[in-house]
Amino acid sequence: FCPGCRALQPPVPRPDLFRLMDCDRSFRIDAQQLQRRFRSLQRAVHPDRFGRRPPKEQYYSEQHSSLINKAYQTLLNPLSRGLYLLELKGIEPAQETDCDADSVFLTEIMEINEKLAEPKNEDILEEIETVIKVKQEELTKEVTAAFERDDLQEAKKLLAKMKYFANLEDKLKSKKIPS
Amino acid sequence: VAVGDAVPWQVVDHYENPRNVGSLDRNAKNVGTGLVGAPACGDVMKLQVEVDENGRIVDARFKTFGCGSAIASSSLATEWVKGKTVDEALKIKNTDIAKELCLPPVKLHCSMLAEDAIKAALADYKLKQDPNKEESEKKA
Repeated sequence: FCPGCRALQPPVPRPDLFRLMDCDRSFRIDAQQLQRRFRSLQRAVHPDRFGRRPPKEQYYSEQHSSLINKAYQTLLNPLSRGLYLLELKGIEPAQETDCDADSVFLTEIMEINEKLAEPKNEDILEEIETVIKVKQEELTKEVTAAFERDDLQEAKKLLAKMKYFANLEDKLKSKKIPS
Repeated sequence: VAVGDAVPWQVVDHYENPRNVGSLDRNAKNVGTGLVGAPACGDVMKLQVEVDENGRIVDARFKTFGCGSAIASSSLATEWVKGKTVDEALKIKNTDIAKELCLPPVKLHCSMLAEDAIKAALADYKLKQDPNKEESEKKA
């Protein structure tokens, strides 16, 4: 907001999402503090509050609100948070095909996918969901440790593994939704 | 598939009528298994080939979990390797696959994954044929 006339200004280009949400640039975050910050920011800039303002401010309000949503979602989810942190530190996300070295891991992913693809009852879906959740929690812990000792290459590898599990989580969610 | 992006009919065709979905016996000596993953998008692809005594690929199967383009790329790959010798199959390039399926730039990595899967399957097959390699691995 402009200190003089209190009109809403456009968001800065290419903002640092951590700074925007008032979080330290680290993998460990305080989820509750993040949520509080999200809510208070949205209270200030949400388009609903700008209905009577000039069109330019309404437009900026949409941009701010959308940016805050994006920042919140990015930082809330461990996978997106980790990938964003790597990006800020100048590390490219993994692009090379995973093969020989990771065959045990890939076999595991393949097997869970195959189980999920079969027609299932609720109980088995719950079992698979638990397996996926446990794995994601394990990986999140390992990623936290990797970032803490500044082992960015290890963090990158672990985040790649998390991506496979994130896909499984999405597939499972869509299976649970009655069609 | 993003709303508003036209999916090439070739991709839809392979998605709705996939060829060669399934598995071969990975323990058979003349079967090569390639298992690859794309870390950026989390797609996994398994491609298997069965090779006859003349070094010619007589059967191929795939299982892919991922986007339509990845499924189509691996489906096409199994079609293409059949009837080729191992060396001929190694020449299949991701650019050929992408061209055949009219893959948009953002999906080119799917065809690369299929090429890598073919190479991995053939490398596995070759390893199984070569007892010398097993010997040197035992010594190591």
